Amino acid sequence: MKPLRSTGFFVGAMFLQWWWNTHLSYWGAAPQFLLTLTVFLAARRSAVSTMLVGFVWGLYSDVLRADLFGADALLYVLAAYTAGAVRKQIDLRAAGPLAAVVLILSWAYVVLIGILGLIFGNSFFWVGGVAAFFTPVLNAVVAGAAALVWGLRGED
Amino acid sequence: MQRETRIAHYVVGTLTALSLVLLSLPLSSPVRSFKACASYLFDPLAYEGERGYRKIAETPSRVGELLSADIRNRRLQEELRGTVWLKATVETLSLENERLRRALGLKAPAGRYPLWAHVMERDPLHWYRSVSVDAGADRGVSLNDSVLGRKGDVPVALGRVVDVRPYTSTVLLLTDERSAAAAYLSSGTLEGLAQGEDGPHLRMNYLNSEARLVLGDTVYTSPTSATFPPDILIGRIAKVYPRDPFLTFQSVEVDPALDATSLQEVLILRAHPPRDAASESRPSLPEVPVEPPVVSSAAAVSPRPRRRRSVVVSTGTPAGLEAIPVDSQDAPR
Repeated sequence: MKPLRSTGFFVGAMFLQWWWNTHLSYWGAAPQFLLTLTVFLAARRSAVSTMLVGFVWGLYSDVLRADLFGADALLYVLAAYTAGAVRKQIDLRAAGPLAAVVLILSWAYVVLIGILGLIFGNSFFWVGGVAAFFTPVLNAVVAGAAALVWGLRGED
Repeated sequence: MQRETRIAHYVVGTLTALSLVLLSLPLSSPVRSFKACASYLFDPLAYEGERGYRKIAETPSRVGELLSADIRNRRLQEELRGTVWLKATVETLSLENERLRRALGLKAPAGRYPLWAHVMERDPLHWYRSVSVDAGADRGVSLNDSVLGRKGDVPVALGRVVDVRPYTSTVLLLTDERSAAAAYLSSGTLEGLAQGEDGPHLRMNYLNSEARLVLGDTVYTSPTSATFPPDILIGRIAKVYPRDPFLTFQSVEVDPALDATSLQEVLILRAHPPRDAASESRPSLPEVPVEPPVVSSAAAVSPRPRRRRSVVVSTGTPAGLEAIPVDSQDAPR
């Protein structure tokens, strides 16, 4: 990616996450674009750079939430690292495997954020039934769609 | 590959440690400062995003308002233009109404069917000769119908219809040199022939050579006129021409009571009744005989006998008295 395009993608993803959460979130269920794109980039780009990007996106998500500052940064970094490790075994360029990995990592996110709440906030942080069930599904759908669009455009 | 993996391990370890630090020190001052700094960096995104979103979200309604305002503006401009036209029309109709209201005081002679018509065209080259009016055969106008005007509440002889078209007619004015009408002076029983001169004045010939003519004397149509009803005002004597010793009559210059250049409506006295009532869309006058004008005491004492269509006048020719048609409107010279 060219620098300008990369910057636009970076900022646009944050804007999309904020806008969707603000205006299109129903019963707490909204796709986690930043988490999904972190996994998506880790499947296609360098894991190191993706971890850095995921860390900043995680900080941005932490800023938007009132509790557990640093949790999203940690989980996004771990998600990027995991995706970078998994892609050595599975081809994550295809929409299906990518969606499956995103689905699993999203559920892992739900569990880990609760555990981090239990450790650092003295209570298990439960995101809610609707969000816990639908958000990973939405993430998987977004990841699959992104992979398809990416593939249709012929980009690597 | 190993190197990249090793770097990845270092990076994930570093970032994880940093995140854990941030998580483990939620109330410490450095973490709050870091969070405040991050909020400061990321807040514009949300703030400007919200503003941009509002602007984008309001765009359809604003475009709708703009379109409705444009439509309203166009409608108001149209209404304004219509109002200007309406105002002009009202003013014109008001003036016309005033004229017609005064004209309603005029009375038409029996056996004539009055019809008001507008003057619609004048030939600049023949200013004193003819005018075109917006009534024609469709409204029952026929050839040689007499045409009157109005000066205040007094009817004034203007001319006669010489050309009838389906919707318009041409009126030959008395001031045309081909026009002539039998007339009399109000100061007595003197009768003569008022003839046009293609100018603003008329010439009245064949007046008794012994009569004493007075400036300002009023001239009326004679009962002998074939075209005009009797006793219709023509004008006043403006000048008495010097007597010609070789002629047996006197002549005077008559100033028409109505300037033909100021005509707007004329009253056509139709000889035939209109074919249908539908053609009578304009207000017409009641068919009541014209009241005789107020004449001088001499004329009032000795009422003029109604005569037929010709009068005997002296032409000064060797043949002596000779009967000529006094109303040459019927037979243009």
